[in-house]
Amino acid sequence: MDVAIIDYYANNGTSFLHKAKALWKVVFTALVIASIILTNEFYMLLGIYITLVTIAVWTRLPVSRIITIAAYPAIFALIFAFAMWNGSWLKAGVIILKALTAALTMVVLIVTTPYPDVFNVLRPFLPRVIAEGLFVTYRSVFILLELTDELIKGLKVRGGLTHRKYLRNIRNFSSGIGLLLVKGFDYSEKFYGMMNVRGYGGRITTQGTKTSINRNDVLAIALGLLIFAITISTVIEKKVLEFGVYILLCSAVALVISSIYKQFQN
Amino acid sequence: MSHLHIPDGVLPGWLVMAGWILTALILAFSIYRTRSTELKRKVPLIGIISALMIVCMTIPIVPIAYHINLSVIAGIILGPAVAFVSIFIVNLIIAMFGHGGITVVGLNTVVVGSEAFIGFYLFQLFLAIIGRDSIMWSSGLAAVIALMISTSILVGVVYLSRIDPATVIGIEGGHPAEVATEANIPSQLTKGINIKSFAKTILILLGIGWLLEGIITAFVIKYVSRVRPDLILPQRA
Repeated sequence: MDVAIIDYYANNGTSFLHKAKALWKVVFTALVIASIILTNEFYMLLGIYITLVTIAVWTRLPVSRIITIAAYPAIFALIFAFAMWNGSWLKAGVIILKALTAALTMVVLIVTTPYPDVFNVLRPFLPRVIAEGLFVTYRSVFILLELTDELIKGLKVRGGLTHRKYLRNIRNFSSGIGLLLVKGFDYSEKFYGMMNVRGYGGRITTQGTKTSINRNDVLAIALGLLIFAITISTVIEKKVLEFGVYILLCSAVALVISSIYKQFQN
Repeated sequence: MSHLHIPDGVLPGWLVMAGWILTALILAFSIYRTRSTELKRKVPLIGIISALMIVCMTIPIVPIAYHINLSVIAGIILGPAVAFVSIFIVNLIIAMFGHGGITVVGLNTVVVGSEAFIGFYLFQLFLAIIGRDSIMWSSGLAAVIALMISTSILVGVVYLSRIDPATVIGIEGGHPAEVATEANIPSQLTKGINIKSFAKTILILLGIGWLLEGIITAFVIKYVSRVRPDLILPQRA
């Protein structure tokens, strides 16, 4: 997880998905996640994955980095696949693809949408303390990341993390976490004081979620609906799966064309 | 760390829903309790502890795919009720990185929340039994036992996912793509799981993690107790 990089991508992108409103991107994400849940067809999942990679290409962000960020859940999916192993590579593939595709869907959302915008969409559905906790957590993550970076550098420079002295390393590293905790606690007290001065009365005010639609929003919803419609048709009418290879082929062609176009533009 | 890094769509819907309902109920109770204390003051603290948990989760211990998550420390510092709110926030944010399915956030919160809950009460118990001088042992032992129990809950969740036939949808019926038939139904994905093999793998991988997190928890609590002992008072419950 590279929180700072993800945040940078979300705030500095210029693609149609960056310009689309958070609400409609959340709708797009929900449709794709629903598709992943509904289907257990290897080729369908592979098709969705390739489509998401194509969308990642369209975001004009480093695609390999996005894929790497979204690949972490594959490790645990491998354990599942191993535990369920019955000689079928396809079944193992389905489990791993489900993990990769769902993760890539979420990562595509989060690299094109600043976290506060996503939290704003979720806000009406969450209790106030959680909604506000999300905003404060988001803000605090970056402060702690900077402190952690300084801490690890400090530990290395002063010989706090050295080879083969594992217990000493763990002790020093743990004390470092303790230091972060104490600093964080002090920071939270100051933060509370500052919030009070600025008129905090138990509610953080944010901009409301915009619900109007422009062409970028329409494109995001259309993509989500397309993926969902194809998936649901394969679930309702199994005969559609006979065209699974063509669906896969179409998504692969779209990826190749998009990649070539991106290279050409660069 | 006993996260369910289970992808979306692998566990049956009833189990996922049960996780969300259970989480909603515990959250409602926790928020009710938080409200009775000082909600405004708790928000920045929840934010900091949640952020610290997220930051620690960004440091993976590569060979065993493990990461510490400080849930027991959150339980000890915040108390079980507020820690549960914090753990829900953490799970929601890390699910946005694809770190475990978004639909299993409910189950994840129950599993990780149990670490905070059990860890807090065991810590208090050990402090009472062994004495306040053994704060390091009390916290370390509490963390290891809490993680063992939460891992057992994780294995239990996966076991439960195999047994409900109600989620089997469209199990029969001529499927044109023969090769894909066996992976066709959501519940079948976990139905075929070899629970012994799964439990063994999990226990081997996470067993090392329990010890590691236990040691880290012990040193962190020892450090905090020296620098800011007021943060680890029993009455914070």
